Amino acid sequence: MTAVHQFHPTLTPGDAMSDHILALRKRFQSWGYESEAYAVEVKPGLAIEGHSYRELFRLVQPDDTLVLHFSTGHEVFDELVRLSARRVLVFHNVTPAEFFVGINPHAAAHARLGARQLARLAPAIDLAIGVSEFNRRELETAGYEKTAAVPILIDWSRYDVEPDPEVRAVLAGVHTRLLFVGRISPHKRQDELIRMLAYYRRCIDPEALLTLVGSHRDQPQYYARLKALAETLGLGGAVRFTGSVSLPQLVGYYRASSCFVSLSEHEGFGVPLLESMHLGAPVVALDAAAVGETVDHAAVLLPEKDLAQTAEACALVNEDLGWRAALIDAGRERVKAFDPEKIAERTKKVMGL
Amino acid sequence: MSDSLDLDALLGEVRERVRRKRERGIYGPDVEAMLRTELPGGRRLLSDDMKDPVGALAEALDDDVIYDPTSHKRFVGPLITLARRTLISLLRWWLAALTDRQERINRLLAATYDVEGRLAPRFGERLSRLEREWQQWREHEVAANLHSVYFQARFGGDEPVIREQSEHFIELFRGRRKVLDLGCGRGIFLTLLKERGVGGYGIDLDPKMVAQARERGLEAFEQDALAHLESLPSKSIDGLYARHIAEHVLPGDLVAMLRSLRRALQPGSPVVFVTPNVANLSVGAHTFWMDPSHLRPIPPDLFKFYLEVEGFRGVGIRTFEQSEQRLHEEFTDAKARDNARLLNQTLFGDRDYAVVGFQPDA
Repeated sequence: MTAVHQFHPTLTPGDAMSDHILALRKRFQSWGYESEAYAVEVKPGLAIEGHSYRELFRLVQPDDTLVLHFSTGHEVFDELVRLSARRVLVFHNVTPAEFFVGINPHAAAHARLGARQLARLAPAIDLAIGVSEFNRRELETAGYEKTAAVPILIDWSRYDVEPDPEVRAVLAGVHTRLLFVGRISPHKRQDELIRMLAYYRRCIDPEALLTLVGSHRDQPQYYARLKALAETLGLGGAVRFTGSVSLPQLVGYYRASSCFVSLSEHEGFGVPLLESMHLGAPVVALDAAAVGETVDHAAVLLPEKDLAQTAEACALVNEDLGWRAALIDAGRERVKAFDPEKIAERTKKVMGL
Repeated sequence: MSDSLDLDALLGEVRERVRRKRERGIYGPDVEAMLRTELPGGRRLLSDDMKDPVGALAEALDDDVIYDPTSHKRFVGPLITLARRTLISLLRWWLAALTDRQERINRLLAATYDVEGRLAPRFGERLSRLEREWQQWREHEVAANLHSVYFQARFGGDEPVIREQSEHFIELFRGRRKVLDLGCGRGIFLTLLKERGVGGYGIDLDPKMVAQARERGLEAFEQDALAHLESLPSKSIDGLYARHIAEHVLPGDLVAMLRSLRRALQPGSPVVFVTPNVANLSVGAHTFWMDPSHLRPIPPDLFKFYLEVEGFRGVGIRTFEQSEQRLHEEFTDAKARDNARLLNQTLFGDRDYAVVGFQPDA
């Protein structure tokens, strides 16, 4: 039996990409292939048994397919592409170094390595898949010949959990509950969201709250500066950093928010945009990188960054029930395009399985 | 796209809200200053500096390197601090060599620009001379100094002729809701659309033409064709008619227009470009050049190829507008008749042609 194995440097429970890998693995198995997930580091709590990448060197046969998920540079990729097998690279994008320079030298160095390695791997890859058209174009620029765009697999049923009641309780009685979900990181521009909140509280609703859901572990410097910025602007208690959250908490935040707002300048795909639509929170987002193609016409897409307009857009979808309902409907409709069955079919076709 | 969700209207409402707040003084200079508050505790983000690189470069040249080797970890902190300090002192000379090289690069870069954020004077001079010459060349190329009013009066198309031509295509647009007439002129085609209940609007570079079209109660704007197409949101129009536009732009711009159209058109939408039929030699060699603002003749097969390559479907050519002058073909001798026909085709064939294509279905 031929095998389709996947590799990513780390496998982390609850991480969108690891979830994608697990969902793909299930599909590969259902199509009759042997399929396991391999990593350099498997974090505890993963739903399946993750294997060490070292096993791949004795396991992989020339007829097998090796799927390399690329979101950051890692020396192991250089070793794995020497294996004799069909090599498919799935590109989840690498944030450009310029977002980290002067703020997190470590992240900047990694980003530079990632970009260089992506170009270096090109000749050794038989098929490169971008999880968005934006990513596919980057692959082309990096020198990949055979490319395709297939969105990531999201198992929508996993969101059918009871929202954490505490989240609702914390936000109860607040009229404006703005939400952004994503790692705390300079390219996601949480600093701009905080400035936007300052406008919101000054010009629209003095009691508006902004919740920033996402881990700040990798960006301690930026996180500290964000908190200082909120203080400087007198927004002490109005900006809430939750850190990493559990799934019921995450669902709770989406369900309880009046609007999901993104000023992120770099997204290779943007899972939270779709999560928000799925869970019924209207989306206001800056049209940057892959954001536009992910939301299509189902969100308020801001053609350029203007904090006042961003805030007023959030206020409009919060106050005007007609727009709100239309956006939520459009969002639900949009999510249907990411039906896992359809995406699985497309994956199968593109990969020739 | 959901029918009930008109995002352009929503953004319009958002801009109106901002405008009202500005008017009422709620959103004033103090709020603007607040929104420019910098991220405390270090430098600006490089990605922001990149938006004004020259100014940021001037600042960066005066920056000192900031690195604090102190570790704040409990117990092991002082040890780590000591190790870092030792390492730094060991690496100092090697780092000095690196810094030296960087310093050269910085100084040379800074000499290319002057530190006040303007381009170096000689560079600026040369650039503006080039710009002037380029502008002049463009004006000469299309005789922009010609009094176009006289030109229009003498050589411009007759309204009935244009109207009759446009009628050939009106059927293609039946039932459409937002057809763009590129280079709409006085709005002859737009009037036809309106008479048949087809929704549409036009743009034209000539303010007088636009004013005339508006007087007729049509929706027309003064704008450059390519810039307008590039500004359109995706799938926002459902048809395009462009009469005598393509010969006024260079091939690169024409291709750019087609690409923007592929993005802006809804699936199944028709596109029609009408342009002089240069396969007819008297047009190609003579009448085409009667308008000095014509840049390039486009042979029908080439135009068809452009559309096909850019992904339009069902692309075809139609010719019309018989020449006024023709050789008579009533010869009794068959060979003489064939010759006369051939000559008629090459010399006095149809004066205009249209290339018609369709945006593929989704």
